[in-house]
Amino acid sequence: MKQIIRITVGLTVSCLIAALVMGSVFVITDKAKKHNEHVDVQETVLGLLGYTKSHPAPSDLKLYSLYRYILTDADTSTLGYVLPVLKGDGVGYQLMVMDLDGQFIHQYPLDMTPEKASEAAERSSALQEVVKPPKTFVYADATIVAKLGKKRLAYLLPGEFPGFKTFIHVMLALDPSFEILGLEITEQEEDPGLGAEIKQDYFKNQFKGKSFEKVKDLHVVKEPLPDEYKAYLESKKAKASPIPEGEVEAIRSRYQDKDIYALTGATISSKAVTDGVKNMVAKFAYRINRLDTVISSRHIPVAF
Amino acid sequence: MPATTKTNFELVSNGILNENPIFRLALSMCPAVGISTTVMNGIMLGIAVLFVQVFSSCTIAAIKNYIHPRIRIPTYTLTIATWVTVIDLVLAAYMPAAYKEMGIFVKLIVAFAIITMRLETFACKNSVPASFWDGIGMGFGFMFGMVALGFVRELLGMGTILGYDVLGFRPLLFFVLPAAGFFCVGIMMAMFNYMEIVYNRKRRAR
Repeated sequence: MKQIIRITVGLTVSCLIAALVMGSVFVITDKAKKHNEHVDVQETVLGLLGYTKSHPAPSDLKLYSLYRYILTDADTSTLGYVLPVLKGDGVGYQLMVMDLDGQFIHQYPLDMTPEKASEAAERSSALQEVVKPPKTFVYADATIVAKLGKKRLAYLLPGEFPGFKTFIHVMLALDPSFEILGLEITEQEEDPGLGAEIKQDYFKNQFKGKSFEKVKDLHVVKEPLPDEYKAYLESKKAKASPIPEGEVEAIRSRYQDKDIYALTGATISSKAVTDGVKNMVAKFAYRINRLDTVISSRHIPVAF
Repeated sequence: MPATTKTNFELVSNGILNENPIFRLALSMCPAVGISTTVMNGIMLGIAVLFVQVFSSCTIAAIKNYIHPRIRIPTYTLTIATWVTVIDLVLAAYMPAAYKEMGIFVKLIVAFAIITMRLETFACKNSVPASFWDGIGMGFGFMFGMVALGFVRELLGMGTILGYDVLGFRPLLFFVLPAAGFFCVGIMMAMFNYMEIVYNRKRRAR
């Protein structure tokens, strides 16, 4: 009996100590960690828009995030968009609810600052103020709209889809006509040397410049990647571009409407990324068109 | 095993050669087979294991007198898990660049046999400084094994070393696949055993 008690107490105490250490480290580091994640997303976004340290973003470039929620009331589902709206000199937020056919239902002002809106927990508590039970809401996805001056420059879509092993997380940049501006793989766990090559320039840059029409019908071909195309795709990385000035444009237009060349030994990963991107673009184009129709018909003073 | 009488240098070299975790103790084979596809992966995982091994060994050596013998294994697991979590969080918060490269490797470590085994056979019977040097030796031994495997597999599988193209072509794609890990480990283990036989024979002849 004495033994049992000693073992129980010993285990409990060691668990408590471990929990205490882990918990306090978490509390200390949480803020810095969140900050790093935020910086990371910002860097990915700017990188996709073509801004680097040596070529910084202009000061009138603004990034606005909109968040899509799915609201359910008994059996009916509606869509709720948390939209940044112009309020005085700053940006406020409102929740705009529409049904699945794109018909406007209602709009509610939300009491949030842009800093608070980027935190999932803060958004939830603000939404709870206006979405009263028995109605419930579930977070669906986010979109970042990049605006340069008064024009929309690009849409940035964080997304995920199943790869060969686990989910592949990506960030996709589209211009206002839904042409792909760039693709960045943010998280993946494919096989190193095979599927993991999806994050290499010579694969992901193949998506760059594909038009909306082309993306709708994008396939993967199991052909070796032509050398000149590979050199073109990797030209950003190389210090001295191996391609003569005049030829860059020629190579670009030659391959612009080609399908995606599969990676050697990783056809499934290549296909997963291609299909995932295809899906993301198609769904997003559909959604944003509906959203824009409602916004313009209701004269919502959106910031983006 | 009574407390060790080895010097610090012997403790370190013991981990790298005589008791190399991968080739001699044949522990932690999952990462040895799964992760060692490139030299870089080997280095990253090696560094991660080195830190967790040293910290855990020192902790256990320091508190060994307070652990009830019946619950020592759960305590080891808890210690390792705590250190892994702490290193993971600290890296994520203060070294984002390093975390991007090493994050996935650090999280893998909790289940590594080599660390638990070292705590059980060494740290819980020896002083803190001896455990520290033993941890260093084991960490570097593991890193050496991973890098050696990664070198062979990356060179033969992808024709590159540390990402730089050295061969210009891919000789045998097979070497990147997990199955080839077993072949590489097996062949290297045989080489290690052969070297030991030769060494012992020479010593006997003397």
